Amino acid sequence: MKALEELVGLLTRLPGIGRKSALRVAYHLLKTDQAYAEALAERIRGLKSAIRFCSVCGSYAESDPCPVCASPARDRSTICVVEQPQDVVTIEGAHEYRGLYHVLGGLISPLDGVGPEQLRVDALVARLRGGEVREVVIATNPTVEGDTTALYLKRLLEPTGAQVTRLATGIPVGGDLEYADRLTLARSFRGRVRL
Amino acid sequence: MPFITVRFSSFRNLEDGEIDVAGKRVFLVGENGQGKTNFLEALYYLSYGSSFRGAVDTEVARRGTGYFALEATSRMEGSDEDLPPEKVIVSWKERTKTIRRGEKPLRDRKELIGINPTIIFCHEDFSFAVGEPERRRFFFDQTAGLVSSLYIDLLREYKRILKQRNAALKEGQVSVLEFLDEQLVSRGKDLMEERARIQADFEERIAVLYEEVSLLGREIRLRYRPSWPNDAGRNELVDYLARRRSEELALGTSLSGPHRDRWLFFSEGEEFTATASTGQHRLLTLVLRIAQAEYYSAQTGRKPVLLFDDVLLELDPGKRRRFLSALPDAAQAFFTFLPGEPWEDYRSEGTIVYRVEHGRLAD
Repeated sequence: MKALEELVGLLTRLPGIGRKSALRVAYHLLKTDQAYAEALAERIRGLKSAIRFCSVCGSYAESDPCPVCASPARDRSTICVVEQPQDVVTIEGAHEYRGLYHVLGGLISPLDGVGPEQLRVDALVARLRGGEVREVVIATNPTVEGDTTALYLKRLLEPTGAQVTRLATGIPVGGDLEYADRLTLARSFRGRVRL
Repeated sequence: MPFITVRFSSFRNLEDGEIDVAGKRVFLVGENGQGKTNFLEALYYLSYGSSFRGAVDTEVARRGTGYFALEATSRMEGSDEDLPPEKVIVSWKERTKTIRRGEKPLRDRKELIGINPTIIFCHEDFSFAVGEPERRRFFFDQTAGLVSSLYIDLLREYKRILKQRNAALKEGQVSVLEFLDEQLVSRGKDLMEERARIQADFEERIAVLYEEVSLLGREIRLRYRPSWPNDAGRNELVDYLARRRSEELALGTSLSGPHRDRWLFFSEGEEFTATASTGQHRLLTLVLRIAQAEYYSAQTGRKPVLLFDDVLLELDPGKRRRFLSALPDAAQAFFTFLPGEPWEDYRSEGTIVYRVEHGRLAD
Protein backbone atom coordinates (compact mmCIF):
# COMPACT_ATOMS: atom_id res chain seq x y z
CA MET A 1 0.00 0.00 0.00
CA LYS A 2 2.11 2.82 -1.32
CA ALA A 3 -0.08 5.69 -0.05
CA LEU A 4 -0.04 4.32 3.49
CA GLU A 5 3.69 3.64 3.46
CA GLU A 6 4.43 7.14 2.20
CA LEU A 7 2.31 8.70 4.94
CA VAL A 8 3.99 6.54 7.59
CA GLY A 9 7.37 7.58 6.22
CA LEU A 10 6.45 11.26 6.56
CA LEU A 11 4.96 10.84 10.03
CA THR A 12 8.06 9.12 11.42
CA ARG A 13 10.01 12.28 10.62
CA LEU A 14 7.97 14.12 13.26
CA PRO A 15 9.55 14.52 16.71
CA GLY A 16 8.65 11.79 19.21
CA ILE A 17 6.99 9.59 16.60
CA GLY A 18 8.46 6.20 15.82
CA ARG A 19 7.28 3.72 13.21
CA LYS A 20 4.76 2.09 15.55
CA SER A 21 3.09 5.38 16.48
CA ALA A 22 3.13 6.47 12.84
CA LEU A 23 1.35 3.25 11.82
CA ARG A 24 -1.22 3.76 14.56
CA VAL A 25 -1.89 7.32 13.40
CA ALA A 26 -2.09 6.28 9.74
CA TYR A 27 -4.58 3.48 10.44
CA HIS A 28 -6.58 5.78 12.65
CA LEU A 29 -6.82 8.28 9.79
CA LEU A 30 -7.99 5.52 7.46
CA LYS A 31 -10.76 4.63 9.86
CA THR A 32 -11.81 8.15 10.75
CA ASP A 33 -14.42 10.12 8.77
CA GLN A 34 -13.44 12.02 5.67
CA ALA A 35 -14.27 15.47 7.07
CA TYR A 36 -11.80 15.11 9.91
CA ALA A 37 -8.99 13.94 7.64
CA GLU A 38 -9.63 16.83 5.28
CA ALA A 39 -9.77 19.40 8.08
CA LEU A 40 -6.46 18.08 9.39
CA ALA A 41 -4.84 18.17 5.94
CA GLU A 42 -6.17 21.68 5.37
CA ARG A 43 -4.74 22.95 8.69
CA ILE A 44 -1.38 21.42 8.00
CA ARG A 45 -1.35 22.99 4.52
CA GLY A 46 -2.35 26.40 5.87
CA LEU A 47 -0.03 26.37 8.86
CA LYS A 48 3.08 27.73 7.19
CA SER A 49 1.26 30.55 5.42
CA ALA A 50 -0.88 31.56 8.40
CA ILE A 51 1.88 31.59 10.97
CA ARG A 52 5.05 33.61 10.58
CA PHE A 53 7.98 34.79 12.61
CA CYS A 54 7.64 37.99 14.57
CA SER A 55 10.42 40.17 13.20
CA VAL A 56 10.98 41.69 16.65
CA CYS A 57 11.10 38.79 19.10
CA GLY A 58 11.40 35.80 16.75
CA SER A 59 8.38 34.05 18.16
CA TYR A 60 5.60 32.55 16.02
CA ALA A 61 2.48 34.62 15.46
CA GLU A 62 -0.29 35.31 12.97
CA SER A 63 0.76 38.95 12.78
CA ASP A 64 4.08 40.75 12.60
CA PRO A 65 4.90 42.16 15.10
CA CYS A 66 3.28 39.57 17.34
CA PRO A 67 0.55 40.57 19.81
CA VAL A 68 3.03 40.64 22.70
CA CYS A 69 5.50 42.93 20.92
CA ALA A 70 2.66 45.14 19.67
CA SER A 71 0.83 45.43 22.98
CA PRO A 72 1.13 48.81 24.75
CA ALA A 73 0.25 47.05 28.00
CA ARG A 74 3.53 45.11 28.13
CA ASP A 75 6.48 46.29 30.18
CA ARG A 76 9.06 47.42 27.61
CA SER A 77 11.89 47.67 30.10
CA THR A 78 12.21 43.88 30.48
CA ILE A 79 13.09 41.23 27.91
CA CYS A 80 12.92 37.52 28.65
CA VAL A 81 15.31 35.46 26.52
CA VAL A 82 14.14 31.96 25.64
CA GLU A 83 15.47 29.13 23.51
CA GLN A 84 12.45 28.42 21.30
CA PRO A 85 9.00 29.83 20.46
CA GLN A 86 7.22 27.17 22.56
CA ASP A 87 8.90 28.60 25.66
CA VAL A 88 7.01 31.86 25.12
CA VAL A 89 3.72 29.95 25.22
CA THR A 90 4.79 28.18 28.40
CA ILE A 91 5.79 31.38 30.20
CA GLU A 92 2.69 33.23 28.97
CA GLY A 93 0.60 30.39 30.43
CA ALA A 94 1.85 31.28 33.91
CA HIS A 95 0.47 34.87 33.65
CA GLU A 96 3.33 36.08 35.83
CA TYR A 97 5.59 37.85 33.38
CA ARG A 98 4.48 41.13 31.80
CA GLY A 99 7.54 42.08 29.78
CA LEU A 100 8.70 41.29 26.24
CA TYR A 101 10.39 38.22 24.80
CA HIS A 102 13.32 37.35 22.64
CA VAL A 103 13.61 33.90 21.02
CA LEU A 104 17.18 32.75 20.36
CA GLY A 105 16.21 29.88 18.10
CA GLY A 106 18.53 27.42 19.83
CA LEU A 107 21.35 27.21 22.36
CA ILE A 108 25.10 27.38 21.99
CA SER A 109 26.23 23.83 21.35
CA PRO A 110 29.53 23.29 19.54
CA LEU A 111 28.70 19.57 19.35
CA ASP A 112 25.77 20.41 17.08
CA GLY A 113 27.73 23.08 15.27
CA VAL A 114 25.69 25.87 16.87
CA GLY A 115 27.62 28.96 17.88
CA PRO A 116 26.35 32.45 18.78
CA GLU A 117 26.36 33.39 15.08
CA GLN A 118 23.62 30.82 14.42
CA LEU A 119 21.40 32.33 17.11
CA ARG A 120 19.40 35.56 17.15
CA VAL A 121 21.98 37.22 19.37
CA ASP A 122 22.74 40.27 17.21
CA ALA A 123 19.04 41.07 17.06
CA LEU A 124 18.93 41.00 20.85
CA VAL A 125 21.86 43.38 21.17
CA ALA A 126 20.17 45.69 18.65
CA ARG A 127 16.99 45.72 20.73
CA LEU A 128 18.98 46.86 23.75
CA ARG A 129 20.57 49.77 21.93
CA GLY A 130 17.63 52.11 22.52
CA GLY A 131 18.43 52.15 26.25
CA GLU A 132 14.83 51.47 27.16
CA VAL A 133 15.52 47.93 28.39
CA ARG A 134 16.64 47.77 32.03
CA GLU A 135 16.57 44.02 32.65
CA VAL A 136 17.21 40.92 30.56
CA VAL A 137 15.89 37.71 32.12
CA ILE A 138 17.62 34.64 30.73
CA ALA A 139 15.22 31.71 30.76
CA THR A 140 17.33 28.99 29.14
CA ASN A 141 17.13 25.47 30.58
CA PRO A 142 19.56 24.56 33.38
CA THR A 143 21.61 22.27 31.12
CA VAL A 144 25.23 22.55 29.98
CA GLU A 145 24.08 24.22 26.74
CA GLY A 146 21.63 26.50 28.58
CA ASP A 147 24.33 27.49 31.06
CA THR A 148 26.90 28.21 28.34
CA THR A 149 24.40 30.39 26.48
CA ALA A 150 23.47 32.25 29.68
CA LEU A 151 27.12 32.93 30.54
CA TYR A 152 27.77 34.09 26.99
CA LEU A 153 24.80 36.48 27.02
CA LYS A 154 25.69 37.84 30.44
CA ARG A 155 29.15 38.82 29.23
CA LEU A 156 27.81 40.20 25.96
CA LEU A 157 25.03 42.28 27.47
CA GLU A 158 26.77 43.67 30.54
CA PRO A 159 28.24 46.69 28.69
CA THR A 160 24.73 47.75 27.63
CA GLY A 161 23.98 48.68 31.24
CA ALA A 162 20.96 46.40 31.45
CA GLN A 163 20.78 44.11 34.43
CA VAL A 164 21.12 40.45 33.38
CA THR A 165 19.26 37.91 35.53
CA ARG A 166 18.53 34.21 35.23
CA LEU A 167 15.51 32.17 36.27
CA ALA A 168 16.00 30.45 39.64
CA THR A 169 16.46 26.67 39.77
CA GLY A 170 15.34 24.56 42.67
CA ILE A 171 12.58 22.63 44.35
CA PRO A 172 9.31 22.74 42.36
CA VAL A 173 6.43 24.50 44.08
CA GLY A 174 4.13 22.03 45.80
CA GLY A 175 6.92 19.48 45.40
CA ASP A 176 8.22 17.30 48.15
CA LEU A 177 11.82 17.51 49.37
CA GLU A 178 11.74 13.75 49.66
CA TYR A 179 11.19 13.35 45.92
CA ALA A 180 13.53 16.05 44.66
CA ASP A 181 16.51 14.61 42.83
CA ARG A 182 19.81 15.28 44.52
CA LEU A 183 21.20 17.57 41.86
CA THR A 184 18.15 19.80 42.12
CA LEU A 185 18.48 19.73 45.89
CA ALA A 186 22.17 20.61 45.72
CA ARG A 187 21.45 23.52 43.36
CA SER A 188 18.63 24.67 45.61
CA PHE A 189 21.03 24.85 48.52
CA ARG A 190 23.50 26.89 46.52
CA GLY A 191 20.74 29.23 45.40
CA ARG A 192 19.04 29.56 48.79
CA VAL A 193 17.58 32.97 49.65
CA ARG A 194 17.28 34.95 52.85
CA LEU A 195 13.79 34.94 54.33
CA MET B 1 20.87 -6.65 50.77
CA PRO B 2 21.08 -10.39 50.08
CA PHE B 3 19.56 -11.83 46.94
CA ILE B 4 16.85 -14.43 47.50
CA THR B 5 16.15 -15.60 43.97
CA VAL B 6 17.50 -14.86 40.52
CA ARG B 7 15.59 -15.58 37.33
CA PHE B 8 17.27 -15.83 33.92
CA SER B 9 15.77 -15.64 30.51
CA SER B 10 17.88 -15.86 27.37
CA PHE B 11 20.94 -14.58 29.22
CA ARG B 12 24.28 -15.88 27.85
CA ASN B 13 24.42 -19.68 28.15
CA LEU B 14 22.43 -19.84 31.39
CA GLU B 15 19.41 -22.12 31.36
CA ASP B 16 16.13 -20.22 31.66
CA GLY B 17 14.54 -20.50 35.09
CA GLU B 18 14.66 -19.35 38.68
CA ILE B 19 17.52 -20.14 41.06
CA ASP B 20 17.30 -19.99 44.84
CA VAL B 21 20.26 -18.10 46.32
CA ALA B 22 18.97 -17.41 49.84
CA GLY B 23 22.21 -18.16 51.66
CA LYS B 24 24.99 -16.12 53.22
CA ARG B 25 27.46 -17.72 50.83
CA VAL B 26 26.77 -19.18 47.41
CA PHE B 27 29.40 -21.35 45.68
CA LEU B 28 29.32 -21.97 41.96
CA VAL B 29 31.51 -24.93 41.13
CA GLY B 30 32.30 -25.96 37.58
CA GLU B 31 34.84 -26.24 34.79
CA ASN B 32 35.77 -23.23 32.70
CA GLY B 33 33.24 -22.03 30.16
CA GLN B 34 30.23 -23.57 31.91
CA GLY B 35 28.51 -20.36 32.99
CA LYS B 36 29.86 -19.45 36.45
CA THR B 37 31.04 -16.00 35.45
CA ASN B 38 27.85 -15.47 33.44
CA PHE B 39 25.93 -15.99 36.67
CA LEU B 40 27.97 -13.29 38.44
CA GLU B 41 27.58 -11.05 35.40
CA ALA B 42 23.80 -11.43 35.72
CA LEU B 43 23.93 -10.32 39.37
CA TYR B 44 26.12 -7.37 38.38
CA TYR B 45 23.59 -6.43 35.69
CA LEU B 46 20.89 -6.51 38.35
CA SER B 47 22.81 -4.05 40.50
CA TYR B 48 24.36 -1.73 37.87
CA GLY B 49 22.37 -2.36 34.69
CA SER B 50 25.52 -3.25 32.75
CA SER B 51 28.29 -5.84 32.47
CA PHE B 52 31.55 -5.83 34.43
CA ARG B 53 33.29 -7.48 31.48
CA GLY B 54 32.69 -4.52 29.21
CA ALA B 55 30.18 -6.55 27.22
CA VAL B 56 27.35 -4.72 25.50
CA ASP B 57 23.72 -5.78 25.75
CA THR B 58 23.70 -7.44 22.32
CA GLU B 59 26.49 -9.75 23.45
CA VAL B 60 24.83 -11.01 26.61
CA ALA B 61 21.52 -11.87 24.94
CA ARG B 62 21.59 -15.54 23.92
CA ARG B 63 22.62 -15.79 20.31
CA GLY B 64 19.77 -15.50 17.85
CA THR B 65 17.14 -14.43 20.39
CA GLY B 66 17.65 -10.65 20.40
CA TYR B 67 16.47 -10.27 23.97
CA PHE B 68 17.25 -11.12 27.56
CA ALA B 69 15.58 -10.64 30.91
CA LEU B 70 16.86 -10.94 34.47
CA GLU B 71 14.89 -10.70 37.66
CA ALA B 72 16.07 -10.75 41.24
CA THR B 73 14.34 -10.64 44.56
CA SER B 74 16.18 -9.49 47.66
CA ARG B 75 15.35 -8.51 51.20
CA MET B 76 17.06 -6.31 53.76
CA GLU B 77 18.90 -8.39 56.34
CA GLY B 78 16.95 -8.91 59.53
CA SER B 79 13.71 -7.67 58.03
CA ASP B 80 10.52 -9.65 58.47
CA GLU B 81 10.17 -12.72 56.27
CA ASP B 82 6.58 -11.88 55.49
CA LEU B 83 7.53 -8.50 54.03
CA PRO B 84 7.31 -8.66 50.27
CA PRO B 85 10.85 -8.76 48.83
CA GLU B 86 12.36 -6.03 46.70
CA LYS B 87 12.16 -6.98 43.03
CA VAL B 88 14.45 -5.69 40.28
CA ILE B 89 14.04 -6.55 36.60
CA VAL B 90 16.55 -5.75 33.89
CA SER B 91 15.46 -6.61 30.37
CA TRP B 92 16.63 -5.83 26.87
CA LYS B 93 14.50 -6.17 23.79
CA GLU B 94 14.48 -4.48 20.39
CA ARG B 95 17.67 -2.70 21.33
CA THR B 96 16.03 -1.03 24.33
CA LYS B 97 16.99 -1.74 27.91
CA THR B 98 14.34 -1.45 30.59
CA ILE B 99 15.07 -1.45 34.29
CA ARG B 100 12.22 -1.82 36.73
CA ARG B 101 11.94 -1.79 40.49
CA GLY B 102 8.84 -3.86 41.09
CA GLU B 103 6.34 -2.45 38.61
CA LYS B 104 7.98 0.94 38.43
CA PRO B 105 10.32 1.64 35.52
CA LEU B 106 13.52 3.45 36.54
CA ARG B 107 14.35 6.43 34.39
CA ASP B 108 18.05 6.35 35.07
CA ARG B 109 20.56 3.61 35.73
CA LYS B 110 21.88 5.56 38.71
CA GLU B 111 18.59 4.92 40.54
CA LEU B 112 19.38 1.20 40.34
CA ILE B 113 22.84 1.52 41.86
CA GLY B 114 21.53 2.56 45.25
CA ILE B 115 19.19 -0.42 45.59
CA ASN B 116 21.50 -3.35 45.87
CA PRO B 117 25.12 -2.64 44.98
CA THR B 118 27.49 -5.52 44.47
CA ILE B 119 31.27 -5.39 44.59
CA ILE B 120 32.90 -7.61 41.99
CA PHE B 121 36.36 -9.13 42.36
CA CYS B 122 37.34 -10.25 38.88
CA HIS B 123 40.18 -10.79 36.48
CA GLU B 124 39.46 -7.54 34.62
CA ASP B 125 40.41 -5.64 37.80
CA PHE B 126 44.05 -6.39 37.03
CA SER B 127 44.05 -3.28 34.86
CA PHE B 128 43.52 -1.13 37.96
CA ALA B 129 47.13 -1.95 38.89
CA VAL B 130 48.83 -2.06 35.51
CA GLY B 131 46.41 -0.61 32.96
CA GLU B 132 45.86 2.85 31.56
CA PRO B 133 45.20 5.73 34.01
CA GLU B 134 41.61 5.71 32.74
CA ARG B 135 41.05 2.35 34.45
CA ARG B 136 42.05 3.71 37.86
CA ARG B 137 39.85 6.76 37.31
CA PHE B 138 37.02 4.36 36.52
CA PHE B 139 37.59 2.49 39.78
CA PHE B 140 37.61 5.59 41.98
CA ASP B 141 34.71 7.17 40.10
CA GLN B 142 32.74 3.97 40.62
CA THR B 143 33.65 4.04 44.32
CA ALA B 144 32.42 7.61 44.67
CA GLY B 145 29.30 6.87 42.64
CA LEU B 146 28.41 3.93 44.87
CA VAL B 147 27.86 6.20 47.82
CA SER B 148 26.71 9.39 46.10
CA SER B 149 24.48 9.73 43.07
CA LEU B 150 25.41 13.40 43.17
CA TYR B 151 28.92 12.39 42.14
CA ILE B 152 27.48 10.51 39.16
CA ASP B 153 25.55 13.63 38.14
CA LEU B 154 28.63 15.77 38.60
CA LEU B 155 30.76 13.47 36.48
CA ARG B 156 28.13 13.32 33.75
CA GLU B 157 27.87 17.10 33.68
CA TYR B 158 31.63 17.43 33.54
CA LYS B 159 31.83 14.98 30.65
CA ARG B 160 29.09 16.82 28.77
CA ILE B 161 30.91 20.15 29.19
CA LEU B 162 34.16 18.49 28.12
CA LYS B 163 32.52 17.14 24.97
CA GLN B 164 31.14 20.57 24.09
CA ARG B 165 34.50 22.14 24.81
CA ASN B 166 36.37 19.64 22.65
CA ALA B 167 33.92 20.28 19.81
CA ALA B 168 34.45 24.03 20.20
CA LEU B 169 38.24 23.54 20.17
CA LYS B 170 38.04 21.34 17.09
CA GLU B 171 35.77 23.77 15.25
CA GLY B 172 37.76 26.79 16.41
CA GLN B 173 34.73 28.39 18.07
CA VAL B 174 36.86 30.67 20.20
CA SER B 175 34.03 32.97 21.22
CA VAL B 176 32.33 30.34 23.39
CA LEU B 177 35.43 28.74 24.90
CA GLU B 178 35.79 31.09 27.85
CA PHE B 179 32.24 30.25 28.96
CA LEU B 180 32.87 26.54 28.65
CA ASP B 181 36.10 27.04 30.62
CA GLU B 182 34.13 28.57 33.47
CA GLN B 183 31.78 25.61 33.59
CA LEU B 184 34.57 23.05 33.19
CA VAL B 185 36.42 24.60 36.11
CA SER B 186 33.30 24.80 38.27
CA ARG B 187 32.39 21.10 37.91
CA GLY B 188 36.04 20.07 37.68
CA LYS B 189 36.89 21.63 41.05
CA ASP B 190 33.94 19.85 42.66
CA LEU B 191 35.17 16.54 41.21
CA MET B 192 38.69 17.21 42.47
CA GLU B 193 37.41 17.88 45.97
CA GLU B 194 35.45 14.61 45.99
CA ARG B 195 38.43 12.68 44.67
CA ALA B 196 40.74 14.20 47.27
CA ARG B 197 38.30 13.11 49.97
CA ILE B 198 38.41 9.54 48.67
CA GLN B 199 42.18 9.61 48.52
CA ALA B 200 42.36 10.67 52.17
CA ASP B 201 40.11 7.77 53.12
CA PHE B 202 41.73 5.14 50.91
CA GLU B 203 45.36 5.94 51.65
CA GLU B 204 45.39 4.43 55.11
CA ARG B 205 42.88 1.74 54.27
CA ILE B 206 44.91 0.37 51.38
CA ALA B 207 48.21 0.48 53.25
CA VAL B 208 46.79 -1.49 56.17
CA LEU B 209 44.92 -4.01 54.03
CA TYR B 210 47.85 -4.69 51.74
CA GLU B 211 50.12 -5.47 54.64
CA GLU B 212 47.46 -7.55 56.33
CA VAL B 213 47.08 -9.85 53.32
CA SER B 214 50.62 -9.87 51.91
CA LEU B 215 52.73 -9.77 55.11
CA LEU B 216 55.51 -8.41 52.90
CA GLY B 217 56.37 -5.45 55.06
CA ARG B 218 55.99 -3.28 51.98
CA GLU B 219 54.01 -0.13 52.47
CA ILE B 220 51.71 0.96 49.69
CA ARG B 221 50.68 4.56 49.39
CA LEU B 222 47.92 5.87 47.17
CA ARG B 223 48.47 9.26 45.58
CA TYR B 224 45.97 11.43 43.78
CA ARG B 225 47.63 13.64 41.18
CA PRO B 226 45.13 16.07 39.71
CA SER B 227 45.86 17.35 36.24
CA TRP B 228 45.16 20.93 37.39
CA PRO B 229 47.28 22.59 40.08
CA ASN B 230 45.70 21.38 43.31
CA ASP B 231 45.73 24.62 45.26
CA ALA B 232 44.60 26.88 42.42
CA GLY B 233 41.33 28.71 42.91
CA ARG B 234 38.58 28.84 40.29
CA ASN B 235 39.68 32.13 38.75
CA GLU B 236 43.28 31.00 38.57
CA LEU B 237 42.18 27.83 36.78
CA VAL B 238 40.15 29.79 34.26
CA ASP B 239 43.28 31.87 33.59
CA TYR B 240 45.34 28.69 33.38
CA LEU B 241 43.03 27.36 30.66
CA ALA B 242 43.12 30.68 28.80
CA ARG B 243 46.91 30.58 28.75
CA ARG B 244 46.91 27.19 27.08
CA ARG B 245 44.30 28.19 24.52
CA SER B 246 46.48 28.21 21.41
CA GLU B 247 47.97 24.82 22.23
CA GLU B 248 44.52 23.31 22.78
CA LEU B 249 43.12 24.91 19.63
CA ALA B 250 46.01 23.49 17.63
CA LEU B 251 45.34 19.99 18.91
CA GLY B 252 41.56 20.34 19.00
CA THR B 253 41.16 18.78 22.42
CA SER B 254 41.17 19.59 26.13
CA LEU B 255 44.63 18.89 27.44
CA SER B 256 43.99 19.30 31.14
CA GLY B 257 41.29 18.71 33.71
CA PRO B 258 39.91 15.91 35.87
CA HIS B 259 39.58 13.68 32.79
CA ARG B 260 43.38 13.58 32.88
CA ASP B 261 43.75 13.09 36.65
CA ARG B 262 46.02 10.30 37.78
CA TRP B 263 45.86 7.85 40.62
CA LEU B 264 49.22 6.33 41.49
CA PHE B 265 50.53 3.75 43.92
CA PHE B 266 53.86 4.24 45.58
CA SER B 267 55.98 1.94 47.64
CA GLU B 268 59.22 2.97 49.33
CA GLY B 269 59.38 6.14 47.27
CA GLU B 270 59.00 4.38 43.91
CA GLU B 271 56.02 3.90 41.72
CA PHE B 272 54.63 0.54 42.72
CA THR B 273 53.45 -0.45 39.24
CA ALA B 274 56.97 -0.27 37.87
CA THR B 275 58.59 -2.48 40.48
CA ALA B 276 55.93 -4.90 41.68
CA SER B 277 55.54 -8.49 40.55
CA THR B 278 52.41 -9.89 38.88
CA GLY B 279 51.38 -11.46 42.19
CA GLN B 280 51.76 -8.15 43.99
CA HIS B 281 49.71 -6.39 41.34
CA ARG B 282 47.02 -9.00 41.70
CA LEU B 283 47.02 -8.56 45.45
CA LEU B 284 46.74 -4.81 45.08
CA THR B 285 43.62 -5.12 42.93
CA LEU B 286 42.01 -7.42 45.49
CA VAL B 287 42.87 -4.96 48.24
CA LEU B 288 41.31 -2.14 46.19
CA ARG B 289 38.05 -4.05 45.99
CA ILE B 290 38.07 -4.82 49.71
CA ALA B 291 38.68 -1.14 50.39
CA GLN B 292 35.81 -0.26 48.07
CA ALA B 293 33.47 -2.58 49.98
CA GLU B 294 34.65 -1.17 53.33
CA TYR B 295 34.24 2.38 52.08
CA TYR B 296 30.73 1.64 50.92
CA SER B 297 29.79 0.19 54.32
CA ALA B 298 31.41 3.04 56.23
CA GLN B 299 29.66 5.70 54.17
CA THR B 300 26.22 4.15 53.88
CA GLY B 301 25.95 1.94 56.94
CA ARG B 302 24.89 -0.89 54.62
CA LYS B 303 26.67 -4.11 53.75
CA PRO B 304 27.35 -4.88 50.08
CA VAL B 305 26.98 -8.17 48.23
CA LEU B 306 30.39 -9.48 47.16
CA LEU B 307 31.02 -11.37 43.92
CA PHE B 308 34.28 -13.33 43.56
CA ASP B 309 35.17 -14.55 40.12
CA ASP B 310 37.99 -17.11 40.37
CA VAL B 311 40.07 -14.86 42.57
CA LEU B 312 41.13 -17.35 45.19
CA LEU B 313 42.69 -19.50 42.48
CA GLU B 314 45.54 -17.07 42.03
CA LEU B 315 46.56 -16.84 45.69
CA ASP B 316 48.77 -19.21 47.67
CA PRO B 317 47.07 -20.92 50.64
CA GLY B 318 48.40 -18.45 53.23
CA LYS B 319 47.30 -15.38 51.29
CA ARG B 320 44.00 -17.03 50.52
CA ARG B 321 43.32 -17.47 54.23
CA ARG B 322 44.38 -13.94 55.10
CA PHE B 323 42.42 -12.50 52.16
CA LEU B 324 39.27 -14.24 53.34
CA SER B 325 39.72 -13.00 56.88
CA ALA B 326 40.35 -9.45 55.67
CA LEU B 327 37.03 -9.37 53.82
CA PRO B 328 34.55 -6.89 55.18
CA ASP B 329 31.30 -8.07 56.61
CA ALA B 330 29.09 -8.71 53.60
CA ALA B 331 25.36 -9.09 53.19
CA GLN B 332 26.09 -12.07 50.97
CA ALA B 333 28.98 -13.48 48.95
CA PHE B 334 29.10 -15.45 45.70
CA PHE B 335 32.23 -17.43 44.79
CA THR B 336 33.17 -19.34 41.65
CA PHE B 337 35.42 -22.37 41.95
CA LEU B 338 36.98 -24.96 39.67
CA PRO B 339 36.08 -28.50 40.75
CA GLY B 340 39.69 -29.16 41.82
CA GLU B 341 39.81 -26.30 44.29
CA PRO B 342 39.39 -26.99 48.03
CA TRP B 343 36.08 -25.16 48.12
CA GLU B 344 34.75 -27.59 50.73
CA ASP B 345 37.20 -25.98 53.19
CA TYR B 346 35.56 -22.58 52.81
CA ARG B 347 32.09 -23.88 53.27
CA SER B 348 30.21 -22.84 56.36
CA GLU B 349 26.74 -23.36 57.70
CA GLY B 350 24.09 -22.22 55.27
CA THR B 351 26.42 -22.16 52.25
CA ILE B 352 24.58 -23.03 49.07
CA VAL B 353 26.58 -24.99 46.49
CA TYR B 354 25.64 -25.25 42.84
CA ARG B 355 27.39 -27.35 40.21
CA VAL B 356 27.47 -25.47 36.96
CA GLU B 357 27.53 -27.43 33.72
CA HIS B 358 26.58 -26.19 30.24
CA GLY B 359 24.73 -23.24 31.75
CA ARG B 360 22.72 -25.46 34.02
CA LEU B 361 22.84 -25.14 37.80
CA ALA B 362 22.29 -28.24 39.93
CA ASP B 363 22.46 -28.78 43.72
